[in-house]
Amino acid sequence: MKENKVFKAMRILVLALICVMCIIPFYVLLVLSLNAPSRVFYEGNMFVPTFAFANYADAWGKSRVGLAMLNSGVITFGTLGLTILLGGMAGYAIARRSTTYNKLVFSLLIGCMMIPGIINTVPLYTLMRQINAINTLWGMILVCSTLSMPSAVFIFTTFVRALPRELDEAAEMDGCTGFNVFWRIIFPVLKPATASFVILNGFGVWNNYAQAVFFLQSRDKQNIPQALSVFFQQFGGAKWHLMSATAVIAIVPVVIIFLLFQRQFIEGLTEGAVKG
Amino acid sequence: MQGKDYLKNIVAPVKLRRNGRKRDLTEFMSLPALLLFCTFFVYPLLKGVQMSLTDWDGMGEATFVGLANFTRFFQDSRAMGDIRTTLIFAAGSAILLNLIGLLYALLMEKPFHGRSLTRVIIYLPAIISPLIMGYIWYFLLQPGRGFLYHAMEQLGTSFQLGSWMSNYPTTMMVLIFVNVWQYAGMTMIIYLAGLQNIPTELREAAMIDGAAPWQRFTGVTLPLLLPAIRINVVTNIIGSLSVFDVIMSLTEGGPGYATESLSIYIMRMCYGSRTGYSTAVAMILFFIILIPVLISMRLTREKD
Amino acid sequence: MKKLLAFVLALALCLAAFTAVAETKVNFFTGKIETIDLLNEIIGEFNAANPGIVVEQEYQNDASSIIKVKFASGEVPDVMTTYEQEFVDQGKYLDLSDMSDWWNRLIPSMRASCTDLKTGNQYRVCTNMTMAGFFYNKEIYAALGLTPATTWDEFVANLTVIKTQMPDVTPWFIFGKEAWHLGHLIEFIPHGYLKQTLGTLECKTAMLNNDSAKLNFGAADGCMAVFAQNLLDLQANGLINEDVLTATSDNCVEAFVTGKAAMFSNGMWALSGILEANPDMADKIGFAPYPAYMPDSKPVVLCAEDSGYSISATSENVDAAKAFLTYLFSAENQKKYSETLGSPSAFTDVDANWAPAAFAAEVKSVLNSAVNIGFTNEKPAGFSGDDAGRMVQDLLAGTYDAQSFAKAYEKAWNEGF
Repeated sequence: MKENKVFKAMRILVLALICVMCIIPFYVLLVLSLNAPSRVFYEGNMFVPTFAFANYADAWGKSRVGLAMLNSGVITFGTLGLTILLGGMAGYAIARRSTTYNKLVFSLLIGCMMIPGIINTVPLYTLMRQINAINTLWGMILVCSTLSMPSAVFIFTTFVRALPRELDEAAEMDGCTGFNVFWRIIFPVLKPATASFVILNGFGVWNNYAQAVFFLQSRDKQNIPQALSVFFQQFGGAKWHLMSATAVIAIVPVVIIFLLFQRQFIEGLTEGAVKG
Repeated sequence: MQGKDYLKNIVAPVKLRRNGRKRDLTEFMSLPALLLFCTFFVYPLLKGVQMSLTDWDGMGEATFVGLANFTRFFQDSRAMGDIRTTLIFAAGSAILLNLIGLLYALLMEKPFHGRSLTRVIIYLPAIISPLIMGYIWYFLLQPGRGFLYHAMEQLGTSFQLGSWMSNYPTTMMVLIFVNVWQYAGMTMIIYLAGLQNIPTELREAAMIDGAAPWQRFTGVTLPLLLPAIRINVVTNIIGSLSVFDVIMSLTEGGPGYATESLSIYIMRMCYGSRTGYSTAVAMILFFIILIPVLISMRLTREKD
Repeated sequence: MKKLLAFVLALALCLAAFTAVAETKVNFFTGKIETIDLLNEIIGEFNAANPGIVVEQEYQNDASSIIKVKFASGEVPDVMTTYEQEFVDQGKYLDLSDMSDWWNRLIPSMRASCTDLKTGNQYRVCTNMTMAGFFYNKEIYAALGLTPATTWDEFVANLTVIKTQMPDVTPWFIFGKEAWHLGHLIEFIPHGYLKQTLGTLECKTAMLNNDSAKLNFGAADGCMAVFAQNLLDLQANGLINEDVLTATSDNCVEAFVTGKAAMFSNGMWALSGILEANPDMADKIGFAPYPAYMPDSKPVVLCAEDSGYSISATSENVDAAKAFLTYLFSAENQKKYSETLGSPSAFTDVDANWAPAAFAAEVKSVLNSAVNIGFTNEKPAGFSGDDAGRMVQDLLAGTYDAQSFAKAYEKAWNEGF
């Protein structure tokens, strides 16, 4: 199928406009973060910053965004690890042993995706307190894993179901246990589904605020959104240069990770997620 | 061919496979995930449901009040206004997100130089914390003071958004716009993946048959895109009916309660010493989400 | 299988590491952003001087909401800055009435403000006083030959002069995007009128008992309707900022320090932000009372207890908590505290430079000339100050006229009980 040249040029133009629209807020953030503290943002040419790179050093020193990044990193890593392992196992079981019990498990998980989380707030807080999980990263990992579990099970179940049965049946014949079949044969080929899961859910965990407010209270355990919101409050308003520099610092690792994984993610979606 | 019927399952959760009924320990490998989920979600949820039948204020004794919380909700004019706001926002968001996401995907479908970069840029807004997003957008859009206002002034154009927050339709439009801006990339990616899985032979065959572009689109592309449509429609309905962040960061539900969504209402009731009532409203919201989800699943079901 | 085993082991190790505890931990929960850094400093010194006790500060933006979840689930901090009437009624706070070492040093009227009306006990110690009124730009006032108003007519006349003589200046800046600010206007002006005519104590009692004969919010010529009408008139005549519904407190500070706003209403806590944004403002800030706006009223100024500290009734570390508070309340620490907070200390033995001298003197003279009103925590649990503020947003957005606003306010108030 050949495309008309004019048509193609128009298509590219429209896409360029869309990209500009997507970028503008980030560009504004960048300009603000590089404006000298004394500059009123709309005086002079507002699209060009005064390149006050010192803002970044200042923001890094005054905010606690470094420690928060570490915490967010541990939480995200732990949550993804746990959900991929448990969700993968569950996906394998549900796809390969379609019994009434497994059907119930699947329906329960998917059905709960529609329940607003706030209904749980008070009872969950009580539970977390009873198991001494408040203010701990592992407690936060358990809560975040629970919230990501339906999505993980959904992605892995559908993915495993589409794998050829011969793959694991042969191993089962050889007398391998269920877990061994999963760990040695199925898990290694789940990569594309895992990439989709990581991209679709990982940033949500990294950016989690609704749960972090309750379960990570001490300053040493704060994650990125909490550190930012405290910092924004403390240095509000007049200090846009500091706020935006901190925001940029917090955004950079997310963007880098996204750039690193995006190719696999797209492949994962294309190969696994949306096939009829 | 991996992951062949990924999406069929959103409609019929578990299709029986004749050879999939074997009972052994493998069957119970879903147990750890289930245990975790039951401990940290189902158990607190059941407690929450129990609370919704009481007048608990979050501290003192709880008295059983039956369904009084539910009847009270439907008599409250603020709550009814919130339902209206939530439905308008969700309808606008879900429709626009799907149309625009599909449009983006169609524009992106054929390869061109820089396609992968474009894809990243369009997806970028979806990975940023809503908290940061909220601050930036308010800074950009604030009437009379925001970046957009001054930029328009500098560029010498007369276009102004005006005081969008004092006029209900424009406020809703701005809220929907920001939401669509943030999540259109996510919708697009899924449509793009769906489009790439349509065998080219099918579309070429339609072209040889002399079908017009529009006919090819509705006759071949759309039906084969059903799985992607389903996943997008369902996730967008769930997401926009439980909207919280976008509204909270831009208008805080205001002015007054004009743009308050049900999620914000639930949160405010929960912290306003009406814990029992707020859980009842959360259950009502669950059904408000469930009904359109079930309908859209049925409408997008494939004919086997 | 080995990998799994390693994973399980690692998990178990993590669990074990986190459950090891030794010292007495005092959890300190605060919603006061201004004092985070200072308190961390004080806590550090205290912890170093008291081996065996570890005080931990937890700050939350939305402290009054979070504390409800904590109370609901039974996990209560030992020391906290949040104080609400419903928690008092539920017996959540430790009775501090017998802490005479603290009370003997406190200004007597401040002790009275800390007293719970129902039991006559004190469940919190307030370390500071705060005042609220109008902050105005002295330079603008001097240039136009204005003096702060004592009656509403004078007030409107002043605003009109500013508007006609200096068209670029917002006469009265209201940052109405923030519901709490509008809630404060209700608290200081119509509630202020009630507190002035009934007396703060009697007004608080009337609010506790929802004595509608005394409160009379819905009356067509009552304090609420007149307040609403006055506000609508100012809006119609352009005497307040046009973007009242979207302006934030940051906008207000910026407008004030650049001379684009002549006055705004706020409490002493706003001072440090102004001086930080523009240190040159130090000798240009004036302070004025809320003008009398009802036929029988006088100008009022809020003079209330601020920065209260309470101990949980169920705390297992009461002694350690008291030791920490005693350390925090020492004259030396309170001097720093008062200067950081930018409001005068409630302790008699603390002599702090909490504000530029000229400003502090003007505040003092306002306190002497206007009726001092207290802050009422005695509001219905289901109708918060923010809820009241959102009703004012509706008023300014044109949802109500003055009469229907007063009626709606009365209804919301009654339903809150």
